[in-house]
Amino acid sequence: MNLGQLAWRNIKGNAFRSWVVFLCAMVVAGFSLSAVMIIRGAEDSLRLALNRLGADIIVVPEGAETKVETALLMGKPVKVWMPQENLDKIARIPGVAVASPQLYLSSLSNASCCSVSEMFMVAFDPKTDFTIEPWLKQKLGHELRLGESVGGSNVFTPEGEENIKLYGYFITLKGNLTSTGTGLDQTMFLTFETAQDVARISKTRAERPLEIPANSISAALVKVQPGSDPRSVALDIMQKVPGVTPIESPNMFQTFRQQIMGLLRGMLLILSITLVLSLVLISLIFSMAANERRRELGVLRALGATRGFVFQSILAEAVMLAVDGGAVGIALACLATFLFRDLLVRSLGIPFLLPSLPSLVTLIGGGLVLALSGVTLAALIPAFKISRQDPALAMRE
Amino acid sequence: MFKIAAAIIVVLALVIGILPQFTDCQSQGRALALQNGKTVPMKCHWTAIAEIGMAVPLVGVGTVMGVSKRKESCRIIAGLGALLGIFVILFPTRLIGVCASADMLCNSVMKPTLILSGIVIIAISIATLIISERQPEQFA
Repeated sequence: MNLGQLAWRNIKGNAFRSWVVFLCAMVVAGFSLSAVMIIRGAEDSLRLALNRLGADIIVVPEGAETKVETALLMGKPVKVWMPQENLDKIARIPGVAVASPQLYLSSLSNASCCSVSEMFMVAFDPKTDFTIEPWLKQKLGHELRLGESVGGSNVFTPEGEENIKLYGYFITLKGNLTSTGTGLDQTMFLTFETAQDVARISKTRAERPLEIPANSISAALVKVQPGSDPRSVALDIMQKVPGVTPIESPNMFQTFRQQIMGLLRGMLLILSITLVLSLVLISLIFSMAANERRRELGVLRALGATRGFVFQSILAEAVMLAVDGGAVGIALACLATFLFRDLLVRSLGIPFLLPSLPSLVTLIGGGLVLALSGVTLAALIPAFKISRQDPALAMRE
Repeated sequence: MFKIAAAIIVVLALVIGILPQFTDCQSQGRALALQNGKTVPMKCHWTAIAEIGMAVPLVGVGTVMGVSKRKESCRIIAGLGALLGIFVILFPTRLIGVCASADMLCNSVMKPTLILSGIVIIAISIATLIISERQPEQFA
């Protein structure tokens, strides 16, 4: 009988003890992996959302910063307005390369004239836009025409229909942008011209008309000239354009960053408590097991087994349980995080993007190493103690 | 070992049978409105009903697996468990489906729970099948 077979027999010999160690390893590996996946997923999602926006500065009406950030990140529709003349003022500021306006709109909630309820809609100006237009030219080969739109990865035409009905107006979905894990995935992008056409048609066909205040915009996306400092341009905008707040790209989504940091702290605390409790429990179980098997191990030593063999047999048992428990915990954590990602996003209030395959493999490796090192560490002292015991004494007791 | 597997299957069968009844759109007061003013349940409701048909035999599978002492019967029961697990997954994903919107509870809670439960049942059934193959006749 080799070391592995001996360890496996010992595992089967005391099912209850083995199950407890298995469950501890499963919880440690599964919980640590899902915690890291959620935090990293939220960070990746924020980074992608910033890249998607592609602006150095976003200028929003004063006091509407959090509302706009929530709309862009969580897809929660927002209605904020500022005079269109602000756009000209912003464009004239030294260092500004392009200033492009956007209108933030939303579909009606539970209305028969809208096939999608409360969807965030962003209207952009194709003449100045630098966020959607490059993608359109690359993927579609042309600009959006009247009545056409593109959507985030989760925007789709309802089953059995050819168009998306909004305010009684039929919009054709021409394509979907790649997933960011944020509210941008549930956002529809259309041109100013289409938005105005929807507003015009909605007066006769919708339960409530789409209202776009005249000469108003919701936000202005700013790209600074190469070599210009975005911070000084933002300061200039704040001084020269009253009633607006410029948000520099690195400072975007601060509320969500703080939320993620809070979540990280909470998860680290729970993870530490789980890890410490599991280690103590596993250590106690292996101490008990070593005491129970004192005679058996004494006989093994008397039959010629070395101290090293006894020590290794207990560690092999710990490693087998840790690997099995860790693997099951990791599989369950991956499955649960993947399947319940929408629920996670909504209940935690943060964006979330699933990790890429290489990143996932690294995380899985990390989870397994944590479970393995934790269980092995906890079994180390009992294994060392029992292997040092005199076989004659052990058999007599 | 088999008793633990049986207990897990019974618990999951109860989840499969009960949870969809409280997470489908019908239970949330949502229904499809027809042009004549009548309302009909959304397809997630029919998935929830179909899952009861999967949960009941799964409870039986779990119970028999827990008391069975014969290798043959355990093997058949494990095979049946795996088959039912596949159907638990197929109803919300392929055969009937759930509502498309990610905001709806049937999509964000019911569907993932059923898929996860189905996968776990399949995994346990396959493991039981393999272990029962290797074990001598009296294993329970």
